[in-house]
Amino acid sequence: MFASILVNGLVNSVILILTALGFSLTFGLSRVANFAVGGLYLFAGFAAWIFLRILGLPYAVAILLAIILTGILGAIIYQVLLVRVRGIELSEVIATFAVGVAILETFRWAGFVTYEFNLPSFFKGRLEILGTVIDYQRLIVIGVGLFLAVALWWFTHHTKIGLGLRGIAQDEHTALTLGIESDWAAMLSVAIGSALTAVAAVVILPLGIISINVGYEVLLLAIAVSVLGGLESTVGLVIAGLILGYAQVLTANFLGPQWMLVVYLAAIVTVLAVRPSGLLGRFKEIEERV
Amino acid sequence: MANPILQVDHLTKRFGGIGAVYRISFDLQPGEALGIIGPNGSGKTTLVNLITGFVKPTAGRVTFRGREITNLPAYARVELGIARSFQMVRPFYNLPAFKNLIIPLFSPRVGKRVGGKSGNRDEVAMHLLEEVGFERDSQVPYKVASSLPHGYLKRLELARCLALEPELLILDELFSGMSMSEVASVLPLIEKIREQGTTIIMVEHRLRELFRIANRAIVLNFGEKIAEGKPEEVIADEQVRKAYLGSEDA
Ligand SMILES: Nc1ncnc2c1ncn2[C@@H]1O[C@H](COP(=O)(O)OP(=O)(O)O)[C@@H](O)[C@H]1O
Ligand SMILES: [Mg+2]
Repeated sequence: MFASILVNGLVNSVILILTALGFSLTFGLSRVANFAVGGLYLFAGFAAWIFLRILGLPYAVAILLAIILTGILGAIIYQVLLVRVRGIELSEVIATFAVGVAILETFRWAGFVTYEFNLPSFFKGRLEILGTVIDYQRLIVIGVGLFLAVALWWFTHHTKIGLGLRGIAQDEHTALTLGIESDWAAMLSVAIGSALTAVAAVVILPLGIISINVGYEVLLLAIAVSVLGGLESTVGLVIAGLILGYAQVLTANFLGPQWMLVVYLAAIVTVLAVRPSGLLGRFKEIEERV
Repeated sequence: MANPILQVDHLTKRFGGIGAVYRISFDLQPGEALGIIGPNGSGKTTLVNLITGFVKPTAGRVTFRGREITNLPAYARVELGIARSFQMVRPFYNLPAFKNLIIPLFSPRVGKRVGGKSGNRDEVAMHLLEEVGFERDSQVPYKVASSLPHGYLKRLELARCLALEPELLILDELFSGMSMSEVASVLPLIEKIREQGTTIIMVEHRLRELFRIANRAIVLNFGEKIAEGKPEEVIADEQVRKAYLGSEDA
């Protein structure tokens, strides 16, 4: 029992973290709240499905193409739409939400609604850890989650583009004096966030079927985890993912699954009441001294 | 005269109805050091913002090395070799001091010269910090900018400009808020940069320091240029004294 909670809670948590990673990264780097995440998530899933099932490409290639294509779609959304409303937060939210809904409903309209839409596990099989059975796909989810966490840390601390994006996030004016173009950087941050969302989709979707509703859930989860974690803190995101992931499993085990959503919302409301900027979020403004 | 490196031609900026800079013109020869003085609110920072592309002019032209840059975005002017500091310091507050310099060292302008090895870049960043008076073997370079005292942040502003190896260096009241000893540690560095041929524009209230660096000065009052000439002469000017003494004791 204990081991099963430990293992399943971890899997749940990593799924949440992965789901929120793209949304959170984009917001942290360029203040763009990309409410199209749910649409992008399913776009990646269906794209991988089409490449695999219709075009008959090898699975690895299908996945890679889906990730790249989703990144490009993110860049296009920025260039076509967001550039015009940049800085007007409500418009950004409405515009990206509309795009997300448009993507999801287009798939529904095109008939992507039956059980045949699923992605196979990367490897078949399962493993026993501490007496709890866990299949390889869930292990892959955990592995990808860990890898991305380390890779993103490296990217934002040691690479030219990562540091440049952080610079922009912290002070756009100063970044300009260093020759960094903020529109280009914001587009990149949306593209990278979209590609990360696609990575989450292709590793998580094999655990179930690809359904339109998943897209709407993803949006809610991404917002919940990001807000709880504090919108610009990766560590906060991880902690928030762990809290919510384990809260889900504990509730399901001890109170019954019908309570999951309530406990979930209670956790969010409690944290925000105590710390309005999220668990590890910082209030950004620092008083300028003369 | 040789070709000027910078030409400012009837540059004008109005915010709403209020004129901040009005029909200002001047030329700058390569290697010159120009001082800009004037009471608070006289348009000095706005003039810097116009030259660096942070503010769009209402009228007038800016030409750098013979090329009109009036409508060139700020980030592109950096690549041409124009670097500026901010009067109100603007470091990347959540990054360590030396990381604040890694970002300019990655920029297209100097990135290639500094080289691909990150160890190299760290070394250059440390050297720059040392030049502006950060204690090398202390923890100071590794502290996040938000934890540093104001005097350090002012010098970090300078180091960030120098990381770009600019041809035109614009310092907006760099010395204000620095202690005497901090000023004394930085002044020789700016003199050295001038000797090496970098063109300098220096907005400065501290006249003693300005005299050490600048070979020419212009005076602004209510957005207009009211005097131009040798720094000592300009200060002696009757109109200038009135403008200054009218608003504050300089
Ligand atoms: N972004 C802005 N919007 C509106 N007014 C501004 C802005 N920037 C400067 N001003 C006004 O322009 C005038 C000149 O300001 P500034 O250039 O900062 O002067 P200085 O640097 O000489 O103290 C002031 O009256 C100031 O209030
Ligand atoms: Mg000023």
